[in-house]
Amino acid sequence: MKRNRTAALCCAALLLLGLSSCGTDTASSTQHVVTLVSKSTQTEFWLSVFAGAEAAATEYNVKLNIVGPETEEDYKTQNQMVADAVAQGTEALVFSAIDYENNADAVDEAAGKGVKIVAIDSNVDSSAVSTYIGTDNYAAGQMAARAALERVKGRLKVGIINYDISSANGQERQRGAEDTFRESGRAEVTAVINTLAEAGQAQKDTEALLNEHPEIDVLLAFNEPTSVGAAQAVEVLGLSEQVFLVGFDSNVLTIDGLQEGSVDALVVQNPYAMGYLGVESAYKLLSGQGGGLEQTVDTSTRIVDRSNLFSIDSQKALFAFEQRED
Amino acid sequence: MKGVKSRGGLRITAILVTMVVGVVAIILCCCILLFLNRYRSAIVQNARTSSAQAVSQVSNTVSNYLRDMNQAMGLVEQSMLESADSRDELLGAFLKFRPDVVAVTSYSPNGALLDCWSPGREPRETIYQNLSFDLNKARAKGAPYMTAPHVETIFESYYPWVVTMTAPLAPGGEAAWVSLDLSFSSISSYINNVSIGQRGYCFLMDSDGNIVYHPQQQLLYSGLKSENTAALAALKDDVYVDDTVIYCVTSVEGSDWRVVGVSYVDELVNRNVQDMIRLTCVLAVVVLAAALLASWLLSRLLGRPLRGLASAMESFEADADHFSYHPVGGTREVQELSDSFGHMVVQIQQLMSTVREEEVNLRKTELKALQAQINPHFLYNTLDSIAWMCEQGRNADAVKMVHALARLFRISISKGHELIPIAKEIEHAESYLQIQKYRYKNQFTYDFQVDPECLDYYCNKITLQPIIENAINHGLDLMVDEGHIQVTVGQDGDDIVFCVQDNGVGMSEDQIVSIMRRGPKDRTGIGIKNVNDRLKIYFGKEYGLHITSELDVGTSVEIRMPKIREGSYETK
Repeated sequence: MKRNRTAALCCAALLLLGLSSCGTDTASSTQHVVTLVSKSTQTEFWLSVFAGAEAAATEYNVKLNIVGPETEEDYKTQNQMVADAVAQGTEALVFSAIDYENNADAVDEAAGKGVKIVAIDSNVDSSAVSTYIGTDNYAAGQMAARAALERVKGRLKVGIINYDISSANGQERQRGAEDTFRESGRAEVTAVINTLAEAGQAQKDTEALLNEHPEIDVLLAFNEPTSVGAAQAVEVLGLSEQVFLVGFDSNVLTIDGLQEGSVDALVVQNPYAMGYLGVESAYKLLSGQGGGLEQTVDTSTRIVDRSNLFSIDSQKALFAFEQRED
Repeated sequence: MKGVKSRGGLRITAILVTMVVGVVAIILCCCILLFLNRYRSAIVQNARTSSAQAVSQVSNTVSNYLRDMNQAMGLVEQSMLESADSRDELLGAFLKFRPDVVAVTSYSPNGALLDCWSPGREPRETIYQNLSFDLNKARAKGAPYMTAPHVETIFESYYPWVVTMTAPLAPGGEAAWVSLDLSFSSISSYINNVSIGQRGYCFLMDSDGNIVYHPQQQLLYSGLKSENTAALAALKDDVYVDDTVIYCVTSVEGSDWRVVGVSYVDELVNRNVQDMIRLTCVLAVVVLAAALLASWLLSRLLGRPLRGLASAMESFEADADHFSYHPVGGTREVQELSDSFGHMVVQIQQLMSTVREEEVNLRKTELKALQAQINPHFLYNTLDSIAWMCEQGRNADAVKMVHALARLFRISISKGHELIPIAKEIEHAESYLQIQKYRYKNQFTYDFQVDPECLDYYCNKITLQPIIENAINHGLDLMVDEGHIQVTVGQDGDDIVFCVQDNGVGMSEDQIVSIMRRGPKDRTGIGIKNVNDRLKIYFGKEYGLHITSELDVGTSVEIRMPKIREGSYETK
């Protein structure tokens, strides 16, 4: 009788095992939660990042939250957003650091709670970053400098309009540009200003710079708002012919400027790819396929000037397909 | 079960369970394989169908868009024939109606922009490059044609994606060509939202394999993703399934565009198949467990009563006498077997007790026959002695002898009873000793010490006489001195103990053993062995003779038997 009972128990256990395995199957199909913390939610660059991120989120069935501070200098808000996202149970962060150093602690803390970290666009000083997806900023800086060197003859006096000094990618770009100018032997960086990543302020600071250094004939602006500001300053001062402006990223204003002459070349990054690959990498990390991820993934950059402005590839790079407004 | 010897051969449980589970497992495996195979092909077919459906929907939408565009173009062309005022009015109304029209532009025969109608926008003063009109292409075509999607470039700070249709106008008018720029965003967002499965998507390409629109073109042009459009362009409209991807190619009616649906086998097929595999595995485990349980129960139903029967047989084999059979339950066959065995046990036990009884009866008969025998030598010698006494005129002695002999015989016969009172037995022994004392010319003395309480108990007749005979023949006959025989009768608990002691030459161990073994054949009379056997047959193994002897000191024979009253043993 005792044997009978143990056998019955065994069978029951087997059945339960079977049922529970069914149960875990259905449980495993829940959505992963990923939070994208951007530098800004306003610029076209970031809107394009969000479009890419959302495309990947749909494709990989990830619940994506997108947050970003009002201004591109507000690393404290970013830190708070990281903490909030972790508190709300996000499993992975796709993060673009305003401040290479001051964002590190928040990221480390999040990573300490088991959150996977993917850096896009601008890296952060943390060993917890699983992969960095973005432009090779040094090379992009070189590219901007080379664009000026190739298109402008003679000796160059260069003004650099950069944004927040603590932002890693701006500094990398600046270093790449400065190195390239130095190597060319016919260019000299006359002045570097760090302005806010906001078009109005950038325009004011650029005007001041140009007034102070009228000898400047090449301007480099290292992100979208500073490029817009610089382009407006050049136009307002009527220096479109005299000043060769190399900007970053695409904005309708800089594209207008490119056609009208105030902007002479744009280094166009691939924000859609950053968003897409960022979320894709986060998904891979969460679903245990993180082994194949590269340490850094270089999303392509291209130079757009008047000659190739409306080539089909440039169109695709510069103008995102607008979503239907309904 | 513990006593069961381990044997070769398998238990019925093992055989049954293995066979049932094995057969079930094999059938289950075959069924699962067949089913999964069918299921997979059904799912693949399903995936193909759903992919084809999604793509044909996109194709229809795009073709509707294009047809719509043709109609709009018809309207535009018509209105271009009107006078300038009514033309402006018509096109204004048209633009109001069609918010998806970005711009209508007209061009002079040499390609200069003449007029532009656009809701609320004016073209730039200097247009850097107009992607909506290409004079060379327009001239080459000579008929209405349509461009691939491009950015509208004639406006300031407004760069929507459009598809342009350009048509030549009837010659004579100011304008030679008219272009209609229709917003592409409805199509692009429609295509963006098409999903086949979770990750599948659609894209548009032309017949040469150039991508017209792809939801992830930013990834494509930057080389992070690629589509093998050259290979796809060579394919006819159909659904193609390879190892990882399902491609569905459909042409868009009324254009050279083709819609390509890309979906993933892994997601549409493999996941379903894996789910099904998991489910079937669980089911298989359940079925196997059920089979195991069923076969195990069945084998218990069959095997347990058989084992019970086997162990019953084994214990019967070990001790047939005290075996009592409890019938084993189970199936009818087993019950029949059990009943048969029960009958057999009863019969065998009956047979055994019959055999034993018969054996005992035989022995008793044999012993009775022996008791009835009178040693002819003894009779001859005794009569000889009596005759001799008579010759010598010792009449009194002769009379005593004759009496003693008569008593001896009377008691020997005892009306055929086996058990006689101990008093009688003692009388018998005394008569014998009397006779022998005469015959041996008073070479020995004897003495009786009898517990009077014992006298009324019964004992086998002729128990003491063979012992005394032995004592005289072996103990005293060879002695030079006068011998003495002491007979005592006493109680020991529930037993009566007789003891015959002599002070003769005694016996060695070997002699004792040989006396106890010797049968009645080599000597006349009953013999010590027979006395012993008789006691054991009548009363059991714990009763009988016990001889202790010491050389040159004497022999003591102890006879033990239970206290018996009259009648209690006679029937045995």
